[in-house]
Amino acid sequence: MNHILTRLRAFLSPPGDPVIGRVRRKQAIVSALTRRLHLINCTLFLVGYLWMAAIPSPRLEKGTYIDENALQPGQVNTYWDWGDVANADRYLEQLEGLRDHNSTSEQRGNILKTEFIKLGIPASTQNYVFTSSTGKVQGTNVYGVLSSPRTSGTEAMVISASWVSRTGQGDGTLNLRGVSTVLALANFLKRYSLWAKDIVFVISDNYVDGMQAWLNAYHGSTQSNLQADSLELISGVIWTALNIDYPGHSFSHLGIFHEGINGRLPNQDLLNSFHHISTWTGGIPVLVYDHLDSPSSIPSWIPDAYHEEIHAYSYRSKNVLRHAGYQARGRGSGVHGLFHQFRIDAFTMFGLPATGPHGFHALGRTIESTLRTTNNLLERLHASFFFYILTAPDRFLKIGSFLPSAVLISVAMMFGGLREWSDAAWILDATTPLEKKEATGQTSGPWIQRSRHVIPVLGIMLSTHLLGGILFSALTTSWFSNNQMVASAMLICVAFTTSLCALFAPSRDNKLVAPTHQLLKALNLCFASTVISITTVVNFSLAMSLAILLGIPLSISSPSQSLPLRLIRFTMYSGLSLGWLFAHDELKKAVWDWEILGVWFAPFVCVVYAPLVLQAGLVCLLPA
Amino acid sequence: MKPSPDVGIVFPVLVAGRLLLALTNLSETLKHDHQLSSPLTSYFNLQEGIYLFKNGIEPYSGGVFRQSPLFLALFTTVLPTSRIVASITWTLCDAVGAWALIQIWRARQRVAQTSRDSLIAATYLLNPYLFLPTLALSTSSFENMLGLLALMFAARGDASPSLLAAAFLLQLSLSSIMLLAPLILLLASSPVSQLASPRAFSGNGKKIWPLVAEFLVYTAVLTLTSTLISGGWAWVPQTWGASLTLPDLTPNPGVWWYFFTEMFDHFRPFFLMVFSIHLLIYIAPVCLKFQYDPLFAAFILLGVLGTFKSYLTLADPGLFISTASVFPEIYPYLRYPIVTTLLHLHASLLMPLFHHLWLNQGTGNANFFYATTLVFACANGAALTDFIWAGLRIAIGEPQDGYVVVQE
Repeated sequence: MNHILTRLRAFLSPPGDPVIGRVRRKQAIVSALTRRLHLINCTLFLVGYLWMAAIPSPRLEKGTYIDENALQPGQVNTYWDWGDVANADRYLEQLEGLRDHNSTSEQRGNILKTEFIKLGIPASTQNYVFTSSTGKVQGTNVYGVLSSPRTSGTEAMVISASWVSRTGQGDGTLNLRGVSTVLALANFLKRYSLWAKDIVFVISDNYVDGMQAWLNAYHGSTQSNLQADSLELISGVIWTALNIDYPGHSFSHLGIFHEGINGRLPNQDLLNSFHHISTWTGGIPVLVYDHLDSPSSIPSWIPDAYHEEIHAYSYRSKNVLRHAGYQARGRGSGVHGLFHQFRIDAFTMFGLPATGPHGFHALGRTIESTLRTTNNLLERLHASFFFYILTAPDRFLKIGSFLPSAVLISVAMMFGGLREWSDAAWILDATTPLEKKEATGQTSGPWIQRSRHVIPVLGIMLSTHLLGGILFSALTTSWFSNNQMVASAMLICVAFTTSLCALFAPSRDNKLVAPTHQLLKALNLCFASTVISITTVVNFSLAMSLAILLGIPLSISSPSQSLPLRLIRFTMYSGLSLGWLFAHDELKKAVWDWEILGVWFAPFVCVVYAPLVLQAGLVCLLPA
Repeated sequence: MKPSPDVGIVFPVLVAGRLLLALTNLSETLKHDHQLSSPLTSYFNLQEGIYLFKNGIEPYSGGVFRQSPLFLALFTTVLPTSRIVASITWTLCDAVGAWALIQIWRARQRVAQTSRDSLIAATYLLNPYLFLPTLALSTSSFENMLGLLALMFAARGDASPSLLAAAFLLQLSLSSIMLLAPLILLLASSPVSQLASPRAFSGNGKKIWPLVAEFLVYTAVLTLTSTLISGGWAWVPQTWGASLTLPDLTPNPGVWWYFFTEMFDHFRPFFLMVFSIHLLIYIAPVCLKFQYDPLFAAFILLGVLGTFKSYLTLADPGLFISTASVFPEIYPYLRYPIVTTLLHLHASLLMPLFHHLWLNQGTGNANFFYATTLVFACANGAALTDFIWAGLRIAIGEPQDGYVVVQE
């Protein structure tokens, strides 16, 4: 025992001056780390990207569960019966009449309002007009408020349907059955006295813009390009909202759409409760989105034991990709997405069009039971349940299982940037003869330190971001939307030629002053890394896309001696940075989303993403 | 080296830019931001207090108004309280602060004008930690201005104006008492940089006690004036007392509020005492260690205040960071400036974001914001320790190969 102790003591405090020992140890650790920095970086990148690839794997996920005990999903008897289904059918006939007569929004609104009033529910209409660079959007919303028989109406739940279904991102398919479900539900829910919250029925016009106008008016927020009537009827604070989308004439599954604008997700408890109720009360199988778990063709040479896992992986990766597509672009996957900005948990239940077997009966029972569940809520749903990826209807990834992937990439970029920064300070002195060095006695090693002028580099970075801001303001003009083709080409030319000024940057003495390109690369990597790691907590999909688009490209940017090579590299980076200007439809949609719904994606790409890549291009372009 | 732009042009341009910014509608959106103004500096509370005061209601009875009675006197007699006038006044405060900082730099260098003047003005006027609170009309702009004026007069050797400014500052913020010791040492010695050649205190020690006495007289007069203005002593527990007893737990970027929201009531007095004393502990060692350069000691204590004081806002670390521009001689000895900068970058992006997640979007809770205030405290702490290190390290001379400086 004593022997071990003395050995241990000798190891921890070697003979000689303990301070020297400490300094040596520190130096050894630092040099071991810096020598292997490249390896560490590669490992971080590799682990990060592999982790991203593993997100759809069934091995990372957990089964869903209900966190909030008050919800008690599926614990009630439902009373929705065939009589209510007949009501819904009658409403549907009326709506089909409206459709066939091509009635205007206003006529439609008045008729729907009358239907609510016939039921004894106070109802009203709201006209609105949005003006955007692409033109005007107008319509009429209808809403009714069923006051809670049991409380004073300080809290409310919303049941909504938009006139246009979410099919094809609002391609014009009408949501007639969704609307008639809302009307039949109004008729049905009114007969019961157990509601502890007001129920607000909203039939919004068009696809998303109607609901945006209604929610803005309800919460008293102003939007400069929106002219809308103020609401005549109001209720309390809205806690939850169910949006019904039923475009077909029957459905086989109910799909959950949950992504809100700007990457906000609803509380997972709401989705889990709905899943439970739909499966066990309504008897309807639940999907995430609107695609089925179709059998995939797996090559026969793979052993059978792996088939199940590969199949599960391919199904989940479809879900994850769709999730990332909605979330990264900040585009809600349906009308429910607009509720989230006002702190309302909402999702869309989408009846997957099929020849059967389900219809109004099963849907009504599911909604009734879900409403009873949200009616039970005594406080807001818990804050810990907002960060998740739904990989399958009953499977999800916790934040700890996906967040590190993007953070690892960002750490690797940060290390790369710091390395570049410290490299910029030192240069190997090859010219000074050895004797002279000994004579001066200043430096015994061949390394000389040089100063790093940060302010011009920050100036370059700031001007690229300003350029991005100018680009964005050009995108939101009506000039751009009218001549998109010419305009995009012009914008690219302007950005390209402005950047070419970097070619004429004065070349300084590299022995005294650190080269600008090296400092630019260092700060560019550090800033990009910060942006990625911070975005992970707001919008993981966006952070993941940034990690993929920026991670490797920004790390490998480097200048060169030959002019053609410099220009080729710069052109490639500008393509990565501004190539999206030619994706016309996508661009139009993103600008529309920003102007009407306030989605941050378009300004983010212009002011943050494009300039970051452009800076990497400038690193290549600046004189070596 | 190309000639630097003349301060005579740059300074007015910067101030004009700031005035333009102040006249935009930004202050309406920033006014209620928890990071830019605390219950002790909020413009909203100030207006409330002025309204109550004008209508003959005791402003200190409701627990809303916690600013000095001197503000009541200022805004009910001299200055009208319209928003535009307020924005201009606040911006001019910053301009005076920047001018004072330039004067401090010149006094430290013993020259009438330098090429660095414009840079110093820019670090003060363009520092987002300083101009955002000013846009939010937080009264911390007045505190920062008075603090810099006190240091400026002290650096020039004008004892009475300096002590008067410090006494005014004490009326506005109790924690500024920390600056008194280095200020008096500075008055008794000189502002010239002695960091590279440490020695024992060389000033006139006999001057210290009369200076302290003068400061006490000013403070007593101002305290009595405050009492006369507000018609009683009720302002003392509401203004000075608030920074010691923390009655209002509105979130801010400091480290106090969350700690005391989580605390059981019977531990409160003890930990309030610990937190308050903790601040005072730094005064003596910093002033002793940097007795040869009291201006640097004052700078370090500004850093301590900007990290640990109660009711912290961004303006406090902002003052510390901007004041660092006066000490360029120690920059080469900083060990990890880039790490500190990146910590600040992360913290200043994360704080508004998590604040939004918690209070607007509802997907986060108080712990999110608290975690980022810890990142912010780390960033401030990193800056502080690095500046202390560099201030001490410069005395040992240029680094030489084969030698390492170790802290025992």
